Amino acid sequence: MKGRFYIQGTAAISPQESFSGTFTPQLARLEDRNLLRVKEPDYRDFIAPNSLRRMSRVLKMGLTTALKCLQNSNVAVPDAIITGTGKGSLHDTERFLHDIRQYKETALNPTPFIQSTYNSVNGLIALQTRCTQYNNTFVHRGFSFEHALLDSMMQLNEGAAKHVLAGAFEEISDEHFYIKSRIGFWKEQLTQPADMLTSGTPGTISGEGSAFFVLSTAPSDVHIAGLKMLYKPTQEQVSTALGNFLREHQLQPEDIGLLITGRNGDVNFDFYYQELIAQYFPQTPELPFKQLCGEYDTASAFALWLAVERMRAGGPEHVLIYNQFFGEQHSFVLLGR
Amino acid sequence: MAERVFITGMGMISAIGSNVKENLRSLRLQRSGIGHTRHIDTIHKNVLPVAEVPQSNAELAALAGVNAGGGYTRTALLGLVAMREALAYAGIENAASMPAAFINASTVGGMCDTEKVYFDIIDPQKEGTFLQSIDTLDCADCTQRIADAVGIHEYVTTISTACSSSANALMYGARMIRQGLVQRAVCGGTEALTRFTMNGFNSLKNIDKQACRPFDQHRNGLNLGEGAAYLVLESESLVRESGAEVLAELSGWCNTNEAFHPTSPSPEGDGAYEAMKNALAMSGRSIDDVQYINVHGTATLNNDASEGKALERLFGARVPKFSSTKPFTGHTLAAAGAIEAIFAVLAINAQVIFPNLNFSEKMEELNVVPETKLLEEYPVENVISNSFGFGGNNASLVISKYEAGMFEKIVKHTGE
Repeated sequence: MKGRFYIQGTAAISPQESFSGTFTPQLARLEDRNLLRVKEPDYRDFIAPNSLRRMSRVLKMGLTTALKCLQNSNVAVPDAIITGTGKGSLHDTERFLHDIRQYKETALNPTPFIQSTYNSVNGLIALQTRCTQYNNTFVHRGFSFEHALLDSMMQLNEGAAKHVLAGAFEEISDEHFYIKSRIGFWKEQLTQPADMLTSGTPGTISGEGSAFFVLSTAPSDVHIAGLKMLYKPTQEQVSTALGNFLREHQLQPEDIGLLITGRNGDVNFDFYYQELIAQYFPQTPELPFKQLCGEYDTASAFALWLAVERMRAGGPEHVLIYNQFFGEQHSFVLLGR
Repeated sequence: MAERVFITGMGMISAIGSNVKENLRSLRLQRSGIGHTRHIDTIHKNVLPVAEVPQSNAELAALAGVNAGGGYTRTALLGLVAMREALAYAGIENAASMPAAFINASTVGGMCDTEKVYFDIIDPQKEGTFLQSIDTLDCADCTQRIADAVGIHEYVTTISTACSSSANALMYGARMIRQGLVQRAVCGGTEALTRFTMNGFNSLKNIDKQACRPFDQHRNGLNLGEGAAYLVLESESLVRESGAEVLAELSGWCNTNEAFHPTSPSPEGDGAYEAMKNALAMSGRSIDDVQYINVHGTATLNNDASEGKALERLFGARVPKFSSTKPFTGHTLAAAGAIEAIFAVLAINAQVIFPNLNFSEKMEELNVVPETKLLEEYPVENVISNSFGFGGNNASLVISKYEAGMFEKIVKHTGE
């Protein structure tokens, strides 16, 4: 899609110290499981105590990141709220499933059911900001955040919104971590983030996080120049698509000053990155971001946050993010200064 | 110049029929699909009525043309049945032949099947084939299963905005067409009944123990339903090129939020009012051009009061014929917007207005009453279809009659 979509402000809650202050990437030290949890801020600064008590972790995380992002963007009320989440509130979904069993389908508390609805974070953001306009939630694994971005870009192109609040949120629960371990999503041996990419084993390290952005057509220091998604492509299709994508934006591979990749050390799928790098970016500095945040459906939102941080700190003129989620959903996000 | 968006195909399955034709027949015969579940193991089995698709999963697999043991959830199977009909209806033999989008909608994904084995999945002592269904719980599984079966791979995604999900899927696909991202998008939603949603709505105390009574003074809640529906949307230029038969035009849409309460609409129906008003403005039609409104009409105390207020605010003394078709299909959550969008197309093409079943007494809050009779040979040209949901999500679509010979007129006047 044509156009420049400027990032006015960002906010992120992640396994890093990303929410306040200056960000310095840290490789965490895992104790017992291949799971990176977010560092939670003090939610009381953003959410009233009586609401806070009822809200599960991902709701607090998503709402707080959204509110902080608006603050950082000097926007009181956005014109649209668009998010992505692969799994929504896992905690509430699990809790309601357990309640149904425990209480034998009688006298159930409806709160976890209401909050398990995938658009509940969006509803809360709308409620808190009094935003009565466009509101949408995408729930498609590794495309969830990408479609939230695409929808935001369309809103701006249509002139339907001046400021779009776009974001993504994901939580991992102990139960879901175990469930996914049964089908080989995570590495079997305890693997430190520092060793994640060189472990040479299947599976990866689980993560979670929330990141939000305010997009507009008013110029700022960083913009999204392009977005491309590929569904279940072959290696060859990824290569061809990247070539076309760069050409569409009148760029040579050498113009990309930094390549941010979703490489997660999973030997089943990392070849996509290796071959693309060998073909297009043998000399380009690569920053694999999942060592910092772990793997989850909307990890690419953290990658975008990271890219903006880098570019604002005087990074290169063009940054490319390439992410794929267990080989099925692949995306390129091109950023410019 | 933004492309106009035409509806060229549609497919559906619901409690009142496993294709479009059967659904229309049941609507005309005023045959409701509400009864009791045969497929869900719940204590509410004989207490809470539902509108269940009668077919078993094996029967659905046969209808969908896939192997019953292929790991398809009921959500995916319902969707695939509707998808195959929609493509055939549009005359598309090979969906992979051109870049197209598939915008699906779901509220609980594969919960229908996962909830049956969930406690085995989390029990380390248990092993078995159920482990294969671990990844079917999310909303993406059904979408990808359907997309893979028919070969759509350009844009594949899923929207979940509660009961407005598939109306938003239609809007998103239509907007992608208008932005020139694709020329064709198949949009809609699929929803299977689950013990999870039955207990969820029951815990909110808004399920009626009788058949639901939308817009009635004595309404007492909704009945859940299941089903799937997809509409094939194509750009005007593609239709001109292919000569595809146009069923109707998706001429206007709007998505708003109530920002009022997580599960109930504002008393005056602010979001519903804005959604209908803006969708109508976008379609270029005025309030006098609307002959029928397929209301959201869940029969919950709050929805019907606020939706009714919104109708009176927008149309004043000239509220068009309106009815809720939920007494036929139940409330199919994420699929409702697309099922009812098809009903809107049928209203236009068959020149019929569907009755609001189970109505007996006017609501004290409103001056208007729904249409309770089947109206045949009724001149319907523009229909508003409403879908509202949790999280304050509101969506209105305007579906308009396609004028035959329109292209010929354009060619004559422009020489193109």
